[in-house]
Amino acid sequence: MRRRSFLTRTGAGLAGLTALSGCTGDGGDGTESASTESATDTESVTDEGTTTGTVEELSGTLSVATYSSFVGEDTAGNWLKSEFESEHPDVTVEFETPENGLNRYIQRKSEGAPIDADLFVGLNTGELVRADEQLDETLFATASDRIEGADTVKPELQFDPDGRVVPYDTGYISLVYDEGEVDAPGTFDALLEPAYEDALIAQNAQQSDPGRAFLLWTIYNKDPDGYLDYWEGLVDNGVTILSDWEPAYNAYSDEEAPMVVSYSTDQVFYHGEGVDMSRHQIGFLNDQGYANPEGMAQFADSDDAELARAFASFALTAPAQREIATRNVQFPAVEGVDPGGDFGEYALEPPEPVTFTYDELSDNVSGWIDEWARQIASN
Amino acid sequence: MDARVDRLALPVGVIATLATLLVVFYYPVGSVLVGAVRAGGQLSLVPLRAVLGDPFYADLFGFTAYQALLSTVASVLVGLPGAYLLARFEFPGRRFLRSVTILPFVLPSIMVAVGFLAMFGRTGLFNDLLAVVGLGPVELTFTLEIIVLAHAFYNAPLVTRLVTAAWESVDARRVETARTLGASPLVAFRDVVAPQLLPALLTAAVLTFLFTFMSFPIVLALGGLEFATVEVWLFARVRDLALTEAATLGAIETALSLGLIYVYLRFEAMQLRAGGGSRSIGREPLLAGWRSLLDPRRLALLCYGGVVLVLFVGPLASLVVESVTTPEGQFTTDYYAFLLAQQASAATGTVQPVPAITNSLLFAAGALVLALPMGVVVSVVAARETRGSRVAEALLTAPLAVSGIVLGLGMLRTLVFGTELFGHRLTVTGPVAIVAAHAVAGYPFVTRTVTPALRAIDDRLVDAARSLGASRTTALLDVELPLIAAALVAGAAFAVAISIGEFDTTVLLAEGVDSATMPVALERYTGNRSLGPNLGPATAMGTVLLAVTTVSFVVIDRVGGRWER
Repeated sequence: MRRRSFLTRTGAGLAGLTALSGCTGDGGDGTESASTESATDTESVTDEGTTTGTVEELSGTLSVATYSSFVGEDTAGNWLKSEFESEHPDVTVEFETPENGLNRYIQRKSEGAPIDADLFVGLNTGELVRADEQLDETLFATASDRIEGADTVKPELQFDPDGRVVPYDTGYISLVYDEGEVDAPGTFDALLEPAYEDALIAQNAQQSDPGRAFLLWTIYNKDPDGYLDYWEGLVDNGVTILSDWEPAYNAYSDEEAPMVVSYSTDQVFYHGEGVDMSRHQIGFLNDQGYANPEGMAQFADSDDAELARAFASFALTAPAQREIATRNVQFPAVEGVDPGGDFGEYALEPPEPVTFTYDELSDNVSGWIDEWARQIASN
Repeated sequence: MDARVDRLALPVGVIATLATLLVVFYYPVGSVLVGAVRAGGQLSLVPLRAVLGDPFYADLFGFTAYQALLSTVASVLVGLPGAYLLARFEFPGRRFLRSVTILPFVLPSIMVAVGFLAMFGRTGLFNDLLAVVGLGPVELTFTLEIIVLAHAFYNAPLVTRLVTAAWESVDARRVETARTLGASPLVAFRDVVAPQLLPALLTAAVLTFLFTFMSFPIVLALGGLEFATVEVWLFARVRDLALTEAATLGAIETALSLGLIYVYLRFEAMQLRAGGGSRSIGREPLLAGWRSLLDPRRLALLCYGGVVLVLFVGPLASLVVESVTTPEGQFTTDYYAFLLAQQASAATGTVQPVPAITNSLLFAAGALVLALPMGVVVSVVAARETRGSRVAEALLTAPLAVSGIVLGLGMLRTLVFGTELFGHRLTVTGPVAIVAAHAVAGYPFVTRTVTPALRAIDDRLVDAARSLGASRTTALLDVELPLIAAALVAGAAFAVAISIGEFDTTVLLAEGVDSATMPVALERYTGNRSLGPNLGPATAMGTVLLAVTTVSFVVIDRVGGRWER
């Protein structure tokens, strides 16, 4: 049974809330352009209508599996939880944040252990490929056609051909550099030049999301036949490959090198008085940025699938999209949503977003990463 | 004591120890390692052949052993003078210094990495110091050198602690006898003292080699991918769910480690020592007037003090400084305010600092209560010279020989996911499981410190007690335990330190945030972006961890010390 459209995109109240935390502070709704603070909403998808309250009552406990920095004080996760709960008073949202993320559920499924979570929030293309390669049965249900709003997601971000995963935000991998030390390299080939000797810190593609995205970006440009030679050149030119984004960015902050692989939303974190913006320049290579969309999917074994889909739909509403963008510092996935505020001002989008599709990664991605890692570790 | 109780006490102790080991160690580990000899549901050598025949892996094992060897040499070089200083000289603060040598052991590697990068980084304190004397700068970050230094930071104190304890138990009368018989101080040292230090030194060196051979977070945090070790690779394979390859790497690693432990145990058992009721060698005052500063030994120790300041105090102090400094270099108390805010927060998923501190201390106390009897039982078994007792001892020391990643994976699959038993799915998680896991990680240290001490006890003392009517248990409690009290206290300190510093299994077995400990809180705060992406909140928690641990160990040593003498 399917209860319909409880989510006639709730309310004016919500919209007001969003605007406040979106830092415009005028009580109006966020609109296409962040600078004009119009009180009327002009878009079709961001439908802060006048309907308030719930159309149908949902109840029960929803268990959402996600990564740990998605939850906690002031995070997108906690905002979603409290707003969703206040909209549905009989619903409780709980978070599970296992240390090894999606792997936990892949392993549970393959060992025949029960999965008590209903929804996974925060998986990307590579992880979905891994889940499908590991498991005979599908971990996630094909539910996107039953998730209200899923059709409003930008088509270029859709990464699951089977319609299980619905993207809710995306980041673009780029370089962050110190313009006092180096010029923007501009191209991948430039990174091999002496001007950029010992200048770049990247991350290990075996265990880091941005690291993997950067590696895939080089494969995108240098082809599966040529990327290892390109990386040979990078290594010869002194690239440092650290375990994850955090240590890499810290090393950059400590001036160990003038460039680091990071996200194009870097300046959203670093702006304002006393911040030296010259150390937070965004460098796109070949005018591209590698898109790394994050999606959510309902577990096939969920015993409250309806609630899971309702929550997913809620995350795609315009107010929720703006909150996720600002609090998670990633771009919204839904067409036509503008987070406004600092995000609108400081988050940069690449001229040409690129990414590999599910089918291109399938059967290839682990081999690409493995050969790359062996080559680096053999040095 | 009741004869029946006496007859049963040891077997019951052995069985309880084995049962605990079986549940939280052998079964989980076995469930993973069996993957190394299975393909398509059948016994097979294919996985092993695939790894052993791959030149990449030969290189990987080679490099791993090489960096472990370098690290062991560095740890011994840095640790030995410390033992000399602590065992042979008296100076204000000696006891405190001896207590805090355990600190590196409890520090989560992420904090050590932060401290090391702040100390030895391009813009770090060390380069600032070098600049003052007109040297440098040196580029140490993400090199083999800094990995070896960090390994020495962790393991040199182990060398210092074990050798100090051995030195303090050298019987002064034997040295005096040798001197009366005309031996020079050097000869007396070579013939009397050194043979008694050697086993402790070797224990420390073997443990250091094992730890650094299986080192993972430090290599990951300070090294970069070019310096990948077997364990780093194993971690990557697990992340990629290439579990057969991971199991095979883990099995080879474990076989090598167990082999090393076995050879070492045989050597240790051959060392004959007489002891019991000894009087320690007296300590000289370190400073006796300014003239004593010209003494070459004291000059050398002064230089050593400089090394200690740079290698140990430097990173720790840098960590504390980082906790009150913004990325722009200004003073701030924001990170401590963050801890208070976490404490006050009711938001779901928040790890609060105060419960994390109490959890850490409670788990450590629980682990200690469990690890001490386990360790002693294993020592008693080991000290018996029966056929196969070395093999048994090696197997009972296996927690030192198994990679933390393999253990974690095994625990996940058996204890967290549950095991089907009589149609029910049994899971073993929560505080009790955490305490048991910590005890299993800690008891080998109790065994390693207690076994030599137990062996050194003159059998005639026990025989005399028995012939006077004491039961075996009474003899153990009244005669042997007081004689090995110093070793027990040393083992206890390690068990507590292991528990407080433990992260991997704790985070697996904790059910939600209620069982979070200090290292878990610290890890959670590293991912918290509410103050922007920086490690400030984590360094504040690291400083709290440092303070709580320092106080705990000063207390343990003071209380234990009273009991010791």
